[in-house]
Amino acid sequence: MANSSQPVNVFSEALQAKIKALLTRFETKRSSILPVLHAIQDEKDWISDDDVEVLERDFGLSAIDVREVLTFYSMYRQSPPKPWRLEVCNSISCWLLGSKQTLDAAEKFLDDAKKAGKELPFSCREVECLGYCGRAPVAFVNKDRYLDVTPDRAVALMKEYSTKPLPTAAQRCSELRNHSTSASASSSAPTSLKNKES
Amino acid sequence: MPLIQSEYNGKKPEDFRLVLAFEGIADSQKIETYRKHQGYDALVQILKNKQPPSELIALVKESGLRGRGGAGFPTGMKWSFVPKDIPEKYLLCNFDEGEPGTYKDRYITEISPHMLIEGMIISAYAIGASKSYIYLRGEFYDEIHWTEIAIREAYAAGFLGENILGSGFTHHMDVYTGSGAYICGEETAMISSLEGKKGQPKLKPPFPAVSGYLGKPTVVNNVETLAVVPWIVRNGPAAYKAFGTEKSPGTKLFNLSGPINRPGCYEVPLGYPLKRLIEVEGGGLKDGKKLKAVIPGGASAPVLTAAEVESVTLDYEALAKAGSMLGSGAIIVIPEDVSMVDVLDNLMHFFKNESCGQCTPCREGTGWLGKMAHSFAKGHGTKEDLNRFLAVANNMAGKTICAFSDAAAGPALSIVQKFPQEFASRVKA
Repeated sequence: MANSSQPVNVFSEALQAKIKALLTRFETKRSSILPVLHAIQDEKDWISDDDVEVLERDFGLSAIDVREVLTFYSMYRQSPPKPWRLEVCNSISCWLLGSKQTLDAAEKFLDDAKKAGKELPFSCREVECLGYCGRAPVAFVNKDRYLDVTPDRAVALMKEYSTKPLPTAAQRCSELRNHSTSASASSSAPTSLKNKES
Repeated sequence: MPLIQSEYNGKKPEDFRLVLAFEGIADSQKIETYRKHQGYDALVQILKNKQPPSELIALVKESGLRGRGGAGFPTGMKWSFVPKDIPEKYLLCNFDEGEPGTYKDRYITEISPHMLIEGMIISAYAIGASKSYIYLRGEFYDEIHWTEIAIREAYAAGFLGENILGSGFTHHMDVYTGSGAYICGEETAMISSLEGKKGQPKLKPPFPAVSGYLGKPTVVNNVETLAVVPWIVRNGPAAYKAFGTEKSPGTKLFNLSGPINRPGCYEVPLGYPLKRLIEVEGGGLKDGKKLKAVIPGGASAPVLTAAEVESVTLDYEALAKAGSMLGSGAIIVIPEDVSMVDVLDNLMHFFKNESCGQCTPCREGTGWLGKMAHSFAKGHGTKEDLNRFLAVANNMAGKTICAFSDAAAGPALSIVQKFPQEFASRVKA
């Protein structure tokens, strides 16, 4: 990735059409940056440096402007995520109803699976208020909202989702990763990192 | 006499449903259902009579409606600041709803999104805006969907678009989706975000009503504020003022959360006793626990002790007098067995994460408050740290571009000052 000078345009036809429509939907092109990034993330699961360059090269959005947005807003992912993501609100109302216990149980479940050599296609993280405080704790699995998420419920959700087919965005994300690693012949990762992983 | 002063005046809760009028009605999200119950009647009347916009502004002013997002600024007055001689103007609906404890705006669109759409078209007509946006937080996937459907239905019914109902008034509406930044609920930050920039607040003046989105006059109003406008137009300002108190007229949505038996979204007249809302509507605390404290207006509101809750009423003046604020109407109950040191830790973690980083007192202040509150919770804090904590909080208020810094300092100071004994037992000498 680092050695290639030209970014590969890996946006599907549908995504390109979507971006083009967004560019003229608002009063200025710049206003389209947030929705454009949402659209890319919906298709590819995260937003890469190459994607930003493609936005500048092919769609005329300033890379600096795009990066300003990409790095400020917490919903944009700047590295490949796990296919499924459990996000549990730990703001005050949820916390008062045990969201910390929910988070702990979810993390332990992932950890135990990992220790048993069976890593799940899941990540878990704490997020801020999700705006449904009357049914706390509130959580999302990707874009699905769940209410009253007790520790047991969180674990059950993770089990349930782990058996589902991966979401399209995650599939595309992993295809693109395989493509780029074979293209760059795994030469881009620093050796120290490789040693650490092996 | 305002209804709350006569203790409901023999009326039942459903008699106070202005914004939640469609609660319990089947298919209430659909435009046909909304139309069946006077929906869009106010808009049709205004356009048919070619009612002068100035009359509408005067009517909303007369109703005493105040912004329901948190600041409580008089809505009609905000509208009147918009210059009349500039053709390009915008209405921006604040549907960012990120204040911990608040979920009223999403509830409005779950029940009757068209109430919001109609309120927006009327408000846009009053200020002369031909374009409006509904800015929703990115995590509201369902709400974004409902809102988009409602806008499409309104277009199909001829309530949006060019030359609406042959009146000569043109208005277009669109949604805009944020991406996980609490600060975008601040009106100028929301404008920055809508412009495709990071959501950082802008210095006021100029106020958005004069120079907002793309430097054009822009009115930013909360969902609840806009949704009640059709009711006020249909029933008149006097009917609206029959609810609430003299200085805080009307009804307001309150969100009960925390360990309470019946959490939920309740519409009551302003001036309603807080204790009564918790005990009667909310059914009291879970497991019969005793109340220790209440956060009355979302995480940004200074905390009230159980003793203060006894007598305070839910209106802008009474809560300000009690040293807190009505805010967004999010009422978070804290039971006796929860440590206020841990509450502080949780709240300060939130503010530390959500500071936009623009102003030093806030960026550094929330960072320090977050770290120190966490050390108190871990039992690592000292008395000296506690004094330092208060000093930092005291240096954050009134020193920044927006109110976020104050919003972090308020709860910080109130918790430490109102529950000194809890901190004394958790810090080292």
